[in-house]
Amino acid sequence: MNKAPKNLTIQHLRGSVMPFKLPFEKGKKLMVIYGENGTGKTTICDAFDFIGNGKVGSLENRGLGKTGRYWPSVGKKPADVAVTLETVAASCRATIGKPDVTVSPLEHRPRVELLRRGQILALVEAKPADRYAAISRFVDVSGIEASEASLRELIRETEKWHEVAMARVHENREMIVQFWESAGKPGKDSVVWAESEAMRDDDAFDSEISSINSLYISYSRLLDYPEQIKSAEELLKVAADSLVTAQSELDSCLNRVAADAAEMVNILESAKTYLEMNPSPSACPLCESAEKTQGLADRVSERINAFAELRIAKASKIACEQAVQKSTQQLELLRDSARKHAAEFEECRARHAWPKDVVLPSITVPDITELSPWLTKHANLPNEWKKAENLRQDKKQFLVTLKKATKTCADNTSALKAVNIMLPRLKRALEISEQERRHFTDVTLGKIATEVGRLYEMVHPGEGLDKISLALDPDKRASLEIGASFCGQTGAPPQAYFSDSHLDTLGLCVFLALAALDKPEETILVLDDVLASVDEPHVDRLIEMLYAEAIIFRHCIITTHYRPWKYKLRWGWLKSGQCQFVELAKWSNQAGISIIRTVPDVQRLKDLLAEEPPDPQLICSKAGYILEAALNFLTLLYECSTPRKLEDRYTIGDLLPSISKKLRQSLRVEVLIGENGMGEPIYDTVSLTPILDELTRIAEARNVYGAHFKELSFELLDNEALAFGNQVSILMGILTDSDGCWPRNSDSGEYWATSGGTRRLHPLKRPA
Amino acid sequence: MISPSEELSKKILEKLVAEVLITADDAKKMSSRMAAGKLRADDWKLAIEKGSPGGAKT
Repeated sequence: MNKAPKNLTIQHLRGSVMPFKLPFEKGKKLMVIYGENGTGKTTICDAFDFIGNGKVGSLENRGLGKTGRYWPSVGKKPADVAVTLETVAASCRATIGKPDVTVSPLEHRPRVELLRRGQILALVEAKPADRYAAISRFVDVSGIEASEASLRELIRETEKWHEVAMARVHENREMIVQFWESAGKPGKDSVVWAESEAMRDDDAFDSEISSINSLYISYSRLLDYPEQIKSAEELLKVAADSLVTAQSELDSCLNRVAADAAEMVNILESAKTYLEMNPSPSACPLCESAEKTQGLADRVSERINAFAELRIAKASKIACEQAVQKSTQQLELLRDSARKHAAEFEECRARHAWPKDVVLPSITVPDITELSPWLTKHANLPNEWKKAENLRQDKKQFLVTLKKATKTCADNTSALKAVNIMLPRLKRALEISEQERRHFTDVTLGKIATEVGRLYEMVHPGEGLDKISLALDPDKRASLEIGASFCGQTGAPPQAYFSDSHLDTLGLCVFLALAALDKPEETILVLDDVLASVDEPHVDRLIEMLYAEAIIFRHCIITTHYRPWKYKLRWGWLKSGQCQFVELAKWSNQAGISIIRTVPDVQRLKDLLAEEPPDPQLICSKAGYILEAALNFLTLLYECSTPRKLEDRYTIGDLLPSISKKLRQSLRVEVLIGENGMGEPIYDTVSLTPILDELTRIAEARNVYGAHFKELSFELLDNEALAFGNQVSILMGILTDSDGCWPRNSDSGEYWATSGGTRRLHPLKRPA
Repeated sequence: MISPSEELSKKILEKLVAEVLITADDAKKMSSRMAAGKLRADDWKLAIEKGSPGGAKT
């Protein structure tokens, strides 16, 4: 999209009391706006500030507080204010909205970088922190610094962890050494031994412990049998003895009662039962006699009681018989159980291949009757087995602990190894980040400083002040120091040593260098009266530098009230190929800002020659004026001998003869007339000799017609005057180009060239 | 205009990849977060671990 500006229209902003249109010439990227003070230059700059940055910077820092109410022209409202920038492709309009400036369409809003006279020293004289703020958009890498800080923190943590891991591995190895020593230092290396041991299966101990425990339990089961059997045998003996006694007592009782006492008791008890059911029988139920039936029941009971002792003896005997039987059974059960457990012990003993430290009974379990002496003989074995079991328990615990220690040691060693790999990589990453960051900042600042120095050198060549340095203060956050070389001292603060004029130039160079870093092709650069304090010898070079740099920007507008610039431009003494010159008229409350149409003198001469009827006096006057300028140029260029004068006023009569015959004959100009098919320039060579000869011949016309009132002019033909004017016009057409540029560049080493090579003036040096 | 941090992050990550400290994939993922200052210690740790030839773990 072609963003070249066509027109800037300002309506009621500040000094534009009437709508003002600033037209841009096609193909020219630099506009110089000349105007005396109070012509509206700053209003034009404000208009660019308004549309590009949404502010009116010229009112700031003047103690006005909020300046918005002063933006409209006197008597106008904010709603009346508008700035429109029309480009080749689009147009963009800015108005005062709420709360800010409204730009529509926003995508066509121009980027504007504006430097005002009052701000020119801002960057140079600012505090380091403020200077950094201005430059931070190019060097601010705070995001990287924050990420870098995280990496640094990680390294610190990893280093701590590394120390901990080392200490742990050391502790683990010491513990393994202790295990190794307690195991009798088998093998040559504690760790190798520990790793080998850790391979062992600790279940093997469990199996042995279980077997020993089985042996112990089965042996323990036998321990109580001798005592139990003995008790059972004693109980049986007591029961048997009791039975003998009971039998004896029964026999004795029977003898005492009758031989058939037993049968008698049975008959009597039957009778008692009968008589209880028939208490008053009429006859004896046994003999049927009616005699003595009275009291029969009582007499039967008396007789039964007589047989009670016998009955008790009989019951006692039966009870004793039962006790003997029971004791006998219990004894047999005990013996059977003892035999069974003895068999189990033997079975347990036979089931395992016992280690040597597990002592076994020398003989198998004997018959149950011999159990007690067998047990007595081997009474120490359970303790031995317990020891063997405990020993295995200890070994197992040792192995488990050793395994754990070995694993911990291996884990920590592995972790330490990982950290040993990780830590150098983290440190290298940080090193790279820090190096790249410093390099990036140094390169960026160096680039800016070099650019500042380059621009500065263009204005102050050979003064040795071009070595500008910009450096971030390593001890302070966001602080930028500026330095320059001065009398062999490098890094000297320029504010301390430079003149005001040099500082102004430096400030301008810093501004230009920064503006050129950020999308210059999209940026409209506005320099508001920045030449004011630059001293005369440097102004031309500063202007040349601005010409040279302006082309990289989308457009460059320079305002100035530096009067010589106006005339130097008018006379083409400055490169003006890309320059549009605009002169502002005096501002008035009725007309506001307005443009003066300035016509260059050469064009004015052409216009006079074209007038009908021509005015010989005006033509000769203007042509003489121009010829003096041309001769002044040539005599200075070729260092011609000219009589010196106090007031430096040289006339045609002084200058024309000083161009010697030799020089006059060798003066020729190659005039660019086009390009060939290869794009190479084609020149037409024109000798200046006949023109200068003719001018020598008719130069008196200037004095007669154009300088003073002389009666002699009445006698001359107007054609003489017109011829003089035409010859001057021809000379200027050959010597300068359509933009009024003079051949001042000797870089070719062969000729003097205009900007763009439109003219090549030969020779380079005056012939000897 | 690309910010200085964005420009620098690309340069740093290119170097880290060139020295096989991180993978190219991780470099792509890290770029914007690094420029924004949002890369944390764990992000660095993971990226450097993944970049290790043996994938060392701590």
